[in-house]
Amino acid sequence: MDTFLQLTVDALTLGSVYALIALGYTLVYGVLKLLNFAHGDVFMVGSFIGFGVLQLLGGTSKPVVPVWLLLVLMVLAAMVGCAVLGVVIERFAYRPLRDAPRIAPLISALGVSFFLANSMQLLFGATPRNYNIFDLANASLYTKGFNVGNVHVALLRIITVVAAFVLMVLLWFLVNRTRTGKAMRATSYDREAAAMMGIDIDKVIVFTFVLGSALAGAGGVLQSLRVPTTVAIGFVVGLKGFTAAVIGGIGSIPGAMAGGLILGFAESFSQGYISTKWSDLIVFSILIAFMIFRPQGLLGRADIRKV
Amino acid sequence: MKKAIGLALAVLATSVVAASAQGSNRIAAVSAAGVNCKSTITLPLVTPVTGGAGFLGAEQGSWSKYAVKTLAKPLGLKVKFVLGDTPVEQGPAPAQALAQKYVADKSVLVVLGPSTSGAVAASSSTYYAAKIAHISPSATRTSLTQGSSKEATPAFFRVVPGDYIQGPSDANFMIKTLKVKKVVLLDFQEPYSTGLSDSVEGVLKKAGVSTTRLSAPNTTTDYSAYVTKVPSDADIVFFPTQKPGDAQTFAQQLVEQGKKAKVFGGDGSNDPSAFKAGGSYVSNFAPDITGIKADAAIVAGWKKENPGKAVGSFGPPSYGATQVALNAIALACKAGHGTTTRQAVLSSIKKVKIKNWILGGDLRWSTKSNDPLNAKFYIFQIQSNGAYKLVG
Repeated sequence: MDTFLQLTVDALTLGSVYALIALGYTLVYGVLKLLNFAHGDVFMVGSFIGFGVLQLLGGTSKPVVPVWLLLVLMVLAAMVGCAVLGVVIERFAYRPLRDAPRIAPLISALGVSFFLANSMQLLFGATPRNYNIFDLANASLYTKGFNVGNVHVALLRIITVVAAFVLMVLLWFLVNRTRTGKAMRATSYDREAAAMMGIDIDKVIVFTFVLGSALAGAGGVLQSLRVPTTVAIGFVVGLKGFTAAVIGGIGSIPGAMAGGLILGFAESFSQGYISTKWSDLIVFSILIAFMIFRPQGLLGRADIRKV
Repeated sequence: MKKAIGLALAVLATSVVAASAQGSNRIAAVSAAGVNCKSTITLPLVTPVTGGAGFLGAEQGSWSKYAVKTLAKPLGLKVKFVLGDTPVEQGPAPAQALAQKYVADKSVLVVLGPSTSGAVAASSSTYYAAKIAHISPSATRTSLTQGSSKEATPAFFRVVPGDYIQGPSDANFMIKTLKVKKVVLLDFQEPYSTGLSDSVEGVLKKAGVSTTRLSAPNTTTDYSAYVTKVPSDADIVFFPTQKPGDAQTFAQQLVEQGKKAKVFGGDGSNDPSAFKAGGSYVSNFAPDITGIKADAAIVAGWKKENPGKAVGSFGPPSYGATQVALNAIALACKAGHGTTTRQAVLSSIKKVKIKNWILGGDLRWSTKSNDPLNAKFYIFQIQSNGAYKLVG
């Protein structure tokens, strides 16, 4: 039972970060029908921004602000920085190719991914960056929390999961309960018709990139609170986020959230109960199974074309 | 139409075979060609410069560069030092591509590295075919130089001892000093960690220690689920990663889940700036050379070139490998009266003997393999302030 509970805690932490990344993929795909393969690298940039802010504010040994404020500032700075990066990427790498065949922006996305990873390496080197949150406030983020049976749920994990869910709820509210969200949904449904109804498509697309990239930035910091980050981390997490988005149904916001959690649970439970050796195989087999038996994903819509 | 396609395929196949044969002949010609010892010789170091083990390339590169800067001129050589990148996440492909590049470059007489065992296994036959010696400062996998099915060729040399010494050293330390009863071993599904974990596990099992083996993909960043599988009464988790930050993460996640086991890393996790979890252990092929009197001038010179950087464990063997390579070229040049070949340099490697070796004592080669003689592994315990204390 303890193992089950511990794996559930692990899965929720992992899955909530995957969900944040998957949301970025799904938002952009929903509006532009573009697989933004640079998204994982935006996540990586976010994790580096968080590291920079942490160092600026005194690091983990001597922070100049209270711990809660430090964490909030790190997440906010990463969100703002990544949102700006998202706007720049959209403006220079995707907008000129908006009417090109779909393969062109896809290749452009891969190019942006390599550009970001290599630029970051040139600027900051290949050395992994560890936030060393363990050293913050005498390891209280690890040792404080609550116990379920013999399983300790650390404060750091609670912060990660709660922050991710708050962001997801805010996104859901924004997309479903505001005029901007309505414009996003209209653009996603039929871009040309939305333009004819007076919606500024450019603004909607830019806003979509702002949202998706900001979530990636937050995800980057939340993940790096627990594990070190490197300039190469974007590829792997991007792949996992993309898998989560496909499992949930790419283009569907609740789907991305569900996909992230499913992936987190699949990864943790396969490692815990089946084999640590084959966990990646199991996770990506789930992706293949979805592609074969339910290509629209769990909550996605089947693509109907008029012939 | 079918005939035309068949003819085209036949022409294509013939062209490929002819091109391959021409390529082999060209490389053979490059390898046999004499090189003027007054010309500029290119000395590559093949190491991970990017990716999770990028720290390795940064450290090794700085020491090899310093060795070239200080040692080449006194030996009468003009040397251009270059770095070849083999990110561990990309598997053997970059090492193979770099080997092809260097064998085609006639200014390359000897290669430093590859730094990792998997990269050595992937590229050694290419270097051997071109008669290029390659000297690794850190590839420790046993089967590279030992056993009936060696993964490396006679062109491969290393200046550090192999895991056939590290594995038993680590295991015996656990058994005799730490008196372990239960040990969890991880590998990362690549040659270095798999070989080292196998070696340690073998000795532990023989001594009656209970072992559990786990295996994580090399791309894993979050080890929570692995920590969950560590029994609460385990004494040690043997964690031979090549990414020291991951050893730190694992140690912290053990604390988070209330597990009492301590992390024991191999040479790949020996990085005081990244792995500093108090109570953990780490083994390495090099002592702290700042304590060796004969190295004082080298350490001071390197620090001057690299202000603010700490002396790690991977850099000094890289300096040593460069010293061996440069001395072998100088010996071959002397024997060839101002010209030399790759074959001559390869034959000179084991003639190189170095007094006041950077890792302590003198460098001598084993007569049975291309390993250093009497080399040993050192075990450090990480103190609560992150300092490494020699304990075995």
